[in-house]
Amino acid sequence: MIEVANLRKEFKKTIKEPGLKGSLKSLFHPQSEQVVAVDNISFHVPKGEILGFIGPNGAGKSTVIKMLTGILTPTSGKCTINGQNPVVNRKNYVKEIGVVFGQRTQLWWDLPLRETYGVLKEIYEVDDKSYRERMAFLNETLDLDSFISRPVRTLSLGQRMRADIAASLLHSPKVLFLDEPTIGLDVVVKDNIRRAIEQINSQEQTTVILTTHDLADIEQLADRIVMIDKGKNVFDGSVRTLKSRYGQMRELNFVTESPHPAETLRYREQFHFAEDDVSVECEGTAVKVRFNSAVVPIADMLSYTLQTVQVSDISVKDADIEEIIRRLYMQGVE
Amino acid sequence: MRYIRSLAHFIGRLVRIHRIFVAQEIKRMVEYKADFFIGMIGFLMVQCSNLLMLWIIFNSIPTLMGWSLPEVVFIYGFSLIPKGLDHLLYDNLWMVGSTIVSKGEFDKYLTRPINTLAHVLFEKLQVDAIGELVMGIALICSVLPQISVEWSFGKILLGLVSMFFSTYIFTGVKTLTASVSFWRKRSSNIITLGYKFANFTKYPATIYNEFIKNLITYIIPFAFTSYYPSVYILTGDNPLFNVGVTVLVSVLVMGSGVIVWHLGLRAYESAGS
Repeated sequence: MIEVANLRKEFKKTIKEPGLKGSLKSLFHPQSEQVVAVDNISFHVPKGEILGFIGPNGAGKSTVIKMLTGILTPTSGKCTINGQNPVVNRKNYVKEIGVVFGQRTQLWWDLPLRETYGVLKEIYEVDDKSYRERMAFLNETLDLDSFISRPVRTLSLGQRMRADIAASLLHSPKVLFLDEPTIGLDVVVKDNIRRAIEQINSQEQTTVILTTHDLADIEQLADRIVMIDKGKNVFDGSVRTLKSRYGQMRELNFVTESPHPAETLRYREQFHFAEDDVSVECEGTAVKVRFNSAVVPIADMLSYTLQTVQVSDISVKDADIEEIIRRLYMQGVE
Repeated sequence: MRYIRSLAHFIGRLVRIHRIFVAQEIKRMVEYKADFFIGMIGFLMVQCSNLLMLWIIFNSIPTLMGWSLPEVVFIYGFSLIPKGLDHLLYDNLWMVGSTIVSKGEFDKYLTRPINTLAHVLFEKLQVDAIGELVMGIALICSVLPQISVEWSFGKILLGLVSMFFSTYIFTGVKTLTASVSFWRKRSSNIITLGYKFANFTKYPATIYNEFIKNLITYIIPFAFTSYYPSVYILTGDNPLFNVGVTVLVSVLVMGSGVIVWHLGLRAYESAGS
């Protein structure tokens, strides 16, 4: 379905010294350097998959997505969807895809929402019958009817996002690119959006490429994760693989009546933990300990804790994906 | 044959898209009526003050390098029509140079299956330009009784053809200068610079020194947007040069604009998000 092979993008960046003097200097002696934003990325996405595409800020995520959506021309390498190459024939390529940038809108700002769909119908050459069916389907999944007659500028962010997703799906694309589709939305709306994405993916076998900083999106939706850092592909696999490979972190939660638990419990000294292998948070009587279970077995942690303080209600759980990613972003991946 | 058919399909599609975008713009104007009328009044006022200026100049000088007042007014009026048409239909190019490229808003055009230049050009209607068009037509009509021109069907036709092609000299120069933003992120200053030369076209090109005259004939060929076609209409001289070269220049300028634009797409770098 989607084939990405040795994709690379270099930007020319002008070097400027700070201040007015630097600006004047760069005016007369412009200096520039080549920056590699994306370095040899390859992956393959089969039809119907939801791929979570993640990485820290500045990792080159957007650059990859923009090459995959035909916006940027790769320096070398190529990406194809259904055999179509955006560099060769952009127009045929973009007919296969739908794109939503969470921070921007493609809706006609000053006009009632309905008008946007009317224009997109013509732009994508959707015939009347398919258009009616499509609008009925989108309305059912994304519940547009309540605001379709209102000018776009009066929509709430959640409504606008639903409207934008509908706009990107009007021409029944095979691949849907969602860049931060839940940014700035409240929990309930986020949930609605996720459910809609899931429904579209399962009903129409639409392949979804999802970039997000909200890892709950990934956990709920993604079949697979591709993570990049400093322009390179650093992880490619399922959420479960990610957890089992890097997810040695466990979370120990308990409630204690003992005073000053943080001072009494000296995990670091007791077990010789390294700096980021353990952390303790106290909130009233509730204590949360995150630790690396590869360094110290869970049983040892439990018995030490139970011996040292009076404990009621204790539990151990897997670290969530957020914790894993946080550690990966901070340390980099070896 | 296949090539011709796909070209016909391409043009047919452009016409359709243009109609739809214009309809959208008209709907938008209905939403913002006050804005529309203020724009129109503003432009008519600018035109009236220009006209007043012209009247003051000609009250002291009855003829200008062999051109009588009505003839100069004709050239002035003619210049407003292609300029106004370009302004009305293709003003969005200014936005390409100022914000669309530098803020990464150009992404939207690249994800849609229509020609990006056509999309940008068709997307906005600048109705302020109706002030220019009304003024241009009014000026030409007002001096018609005072100029001795032998009118014929062919001459009117060639006049209209010139106006059509002259419009694309403006659009072409704007496309060329707007395309610079793909490499330099912003180009509104360059667009302004190029466009300012159009001010020379309000008056007969013969009043300028050789340098300016050659500049607006051969380098930034705005003299073909009014002066040369008007010479043909007023005197009947040399239609091959006055009209023919206007058409040629228009095709060359707009054609190079289209080519440079498409080269620019490859250099487009979007903006971080």
